[in-house]
Amino acid sequence: MVFLEHEVKRLLKEAGISVPKGLFVSKEKAEQLSTIVDLSYPLVAKVSSTKISSKSNVQGVRIGLKNACELKKAVTELLQIKDAEGVLLEEMAPQGLEVIVGGIEDELFGPVVMFGLGGIFVELFKDVAFALAPLTEEEALWLIQQVKGYQLLEGYRGRPSVDKDTLLKIIVTISTFIATGLIKEIDLNPIALYPEGAMVLDAKMLVNAQIGNLRPNNSNTNSP
Amino acid sequence: MNPLESLFNPKSISLIGAAHTEAKFGGIILKNLLRFKGKVYPVNPNYTHLMGLKAYPSVEELPESVDLSIIIRPALEVPEILKAHKDKAKCVIIISSGFAEIGEKDRQDEILHIARELNIRILGPNCIGIYNPYQRLDTLFLSYERLKRPKKGNIAVVSQSGAILSCLFGAIRKANIGLSRAIHYGNAVDIDESDIYEYLANNDETRVVISYIESVREGRKFIDRARLLSEKKPLLILKSGKSSRGQVAAYSHTGRLAGRYEVFHSILRQFHIKEVEDFDELMDAAKAISYQKPSPGQRVLILTNGGGSGVLAADECMRQKLEVTPLPEKSLKILKPLFPSFCVLNNPLDLTAHARDEDYLTALHELKEDYDGFVVISLTGVTGITERFIDLLKDFKISTPKPIVSHIAYDSISRKLTLLLEKIGIPVYPSPERAVRGLKALLNPSPC
Repeated sequence: MVFLEHEVKRLLKEAGISVPKGLFVSKEKAEQLSTIVDLSYPLVAKVSSTKISSKSNVQGVRIGLKNACELKKAVTELLQIKDAEGVLLEEMAPQGLEVIVGGIEDELFGPVVMFGLGGIFVELFKDVAFALAPLTEEEALWLIQQVKGYQLLEGYRGRPSVDKDTLLKIIVTISTFIATGLIKEIDLNPIALYPEGAMVLDAKMLVNAQIGNLRPNNSNTNSP
Repeated sequence: MNPLESLFNPKSISLIGAAHTEAKFGGIILKNLLRFKGKVYPVNPNYTHLMGLKAYPSVEELPESVDLSIIIRPALEVPEILKAHKDKAKCVIIISSGFAEIGEKDRQDEILHIARELNIRILGPNCIGIYNPYQRLDTLFLSYERLKRPKKGNIAVVSQSGAILSCLFGAIRKANIGLSRAIHYGNAVDIDESDIYEYLANNDETRVVISYIESVREGRKFIDRARLLSEKKPLLILKSGKSSRGQVAAYSHTGRLAGRYEVFHSILRQFHIKEVEDFDELMDAAKAISYQKPSPGQRVLILTNGGGSGVLAADECMRQKLEVTPLPEKSLKILKPLFPSFCVLNNPLDLTAHARDEDYLTALHELKEDYDGFVVISLTGVTGITERFIDLLKDFKISTPKPIVSHIAYDSISRKLTLLLEKIGIPVYPSPERAVRGLKALLNPSPC
């Protein structure tokens, strides 16, 4: 059972993890788009569907939308993608150091949490580490120190160091999520880390079928 | 008492499927069991005597109940044979194959079910069993002519593969170290690696455990027992099947990256359970910790009479994240007047081909406090090195609990020196790099 991105993000937000300010527009309500005023441009628009696991593979993401006109065009296009259930609009987040935090139900070890640096570090170098969930903050610190690119978090060649405390809190939270045994896979990818704070830019979650009915019904927004 | 005591330390054994000739596995095992210190009851309906022992027609007719029964009969007969063991055995080793490893999972489940009903523990099926030199207990269907056994010692081998177990026998003999227990647990229908770790944690004859693993049955139980064991004594894990990547169809990125091995490797690290890369590292490390006790720290002094060998050792230290720190100023002042001007008073400390036995000791004693471990390299092609080297090193070793490993090269007296050094508890390696890898197993390398 798959959750929609804005549903996962609302869950994260309730757990105290920052996500971009955003709004889910269902296919049915797309005409009301013009009344949306409380998001500030530039915006990013992403297709939302429980059937699409990679948005970029279906060209389902539009970034840097500067005005209502560009937004309308993007939303119209995204809703035409096969299986689209709606569109998630979010304020663009500033650039940060990208990392991945995830959790899986491992066949052998049960709930396991994962940390890796984003982009090529994961894709090319497979520089990731795992640990048995749940973790304490201390164990989360150990986990992030296991990746070869750890130094990047400390600040490297003039880059500022990132807010490790926030990162550790995210890892601990995800580790407790996965340790409940209700979630099969959860993936915060990427998370942008800043000198202060962090923002989960994309999130996916697959839950055990029997708890699928926990999926929120009132799912039209994840903005405050 | 640990329930595995009757497996590892039985007083009496029956062998179901004993044979009169070594042309059959049941004959080889019986011959090996003739060395056993306790009672042996061969079972075979066609003989009254086998290899000089009174034979019994069936399990039911055994004169007493035994601690351990070894079954080597075709898989189809095993369930009935097991049933006949009601109140006749505490533990059985099922050597026979023809169970889950060929897809006969139901048959395997059946024997587990029977054993549970009868309160009997099973090792195997599809295994070669155990070797306990302290009791001269040997259930392997490999003859002594073909596979020599290692001597008595302090290393326990826990192997999921019978082939690797037999290879380790050779390697352990070559490394001049000895065994306390060797176990091949095969399909592990009942007793698995975790149960064995639990037993070995409290076995006084075992000081080091090496474990070859292809797959683990229950991840969390395995971690729990491995952690408890490694808190008591060194445990080295060699995992094979590292390259297979499962879960490719995972929904998330995390799931796709979680090949079985990546998760296994990370979790071992999380709980400070030592993993080795390959067979050679397993042996180099096992040798070191069989001889000496681990000690904290990571600063290494390399002492040599051949420049190149010292540099190779230093390179390996870097790779192993051990520190090769320069000699402290105060020691330099003391050592300088004691050595010829052409000696390189650095680290590696090169005493050059002019080195004599006592030069090594002068340096070692002076630098004892400044380093955590010592690599002593000696090329015996020069005349300055004699057998006195051993007595001097022995004095040094007594004076410090810190680890010392050695590489002795060339042929003249090197073989003799090697034997003598190992007699006084200093492991000798065939190359400078391997000596460093051995030392690494005794120190705490830097984590970054």
